[in-house]
Amino acid sequence: MKDVKPLGIDKIAIIKRFKLLRLSLYLSLVTALSSCAAYPRLVNSPVDPGGRSLNSLAADISPAISGRYIVFVSEREQRQDIYLYDRQTQRTIALPGLNSLDTIAESPGVSADGRYIVFAGNRRGRSGIFIYDRETRQLRDLSENLDATVRNPSISANGSTVAFEANLNGQWDILVYNRNGQPLDLPTPVR
Amino acid sequence: MNRGESQSRWRRGWRRQLKPIALSLAISLGLGGCAGRGPEPPVALDSYYRDEQPALSGDGRLLAFVSGRDGTQSILLYDLQRRRFIDLPNLNRDDAIAESPSLSYSGRYIVYLASDRGRPEIELYDRITRRTQVLSSGYRGWVRHPRISPDGRYIVFQTGRRGQWDIEIIDRGPNIELDRQQ
Repeated sequence: MKDVKPLGIDKIAIIKRFKLLRLSLYLSLVTALSSCAAYPRLVNSPVDPGGRSLNSLAADISPAISGRYIVFVSEREQRQDIYLYDRQTQRTIALPGLNSLDTIAESPGVSADGRYIVFAGNRRGRSGIFIYDRETRQLRDLSENLDATVRNPSISANGSTVAFEANLNGQWDILVYNRNGQPLDLPTPVR
Repeated sequence: MNRGESQSRWRRGWRRQLKPIALSLAISLGLGGCAGRGPEPPVALDSYYRDEQPALSGDGRLLAFVSGRDGTQSILLYDLQRRRFIDLPNLNRDDAIAESPSLSYSGRYIVYLASDRGRPEIELYDRITRRTQVLSSGYRGWVRHPRISPDGRYIVFQTGRRGQWDIEIIDRGPNIELDRQQ
């Protein structure tokens, strides 16, 4: 038989101290991991029944973000329209002359300064790639002289370039224009 | 047959043979020179196959899009200035469909939708580290149409979590390497 020595007071203190150390270690680990897991995280984007926020009681789709702006399509006015949301003021910005009653708007994009908005519009069965200038409040059809169905435009953040799809040869091809509607000089595939 | 006549016939025969030899020599030299040194000829952006969903980088220099040209659906990156494709190592996987690409300012970050086991996920590819990160893991709800901000910090997307289409914003945080902006 072995003698079981009772633990001395100093030994109990050591165990207690060790437990405390372990606890603090766990705690620091948990905080370190949770601060790690904090990003990427979702930004709170509340629903505004008044319709001046990013989300509404109707469908809000096809968002694009550039600088402080988010441009998207919303059905909050019972039509498919383009909206521009300012992340700084947390409000939508009025776009006079952009949305019209007879046009279905799709796939918007915005330049980082918020000046140019590009989107695909469908009016009376005819599609076009439109660019809206917020400074002059003018709307222009970039694909006016193109005899093709067009869709899915993208504008560069610096506002210089617009790319979109066109079904020119019985399939979807990509065309790249400058902001004024001139095609970029790119090599074409051998047909 | 005199001597002069046979000589001229020999000459004519030699000339006849010389032509194709010279031609093949010129062609091989021309092609060799093309492949070996000097700038490569520009490559066309479009193909015989469908090329869809264009996305420009913030500076307007690069264009990402979805192409069906390699028998699969993959994301390609084209340099509009140099008129050439840029390699994207580790981005396109054989077991996943990639769609809906978007680019940061200089095109360092590519955000897109990848579907491997039926459920689409928002993924971010860093062209410098050549690594992919899933941004929507653990997110409960259908995701669509991701778009990255020019600085690379924020991603907006379309979600069906509340039973209708809404918009959500992902913040990658203040400690990421921002893509350069204007």
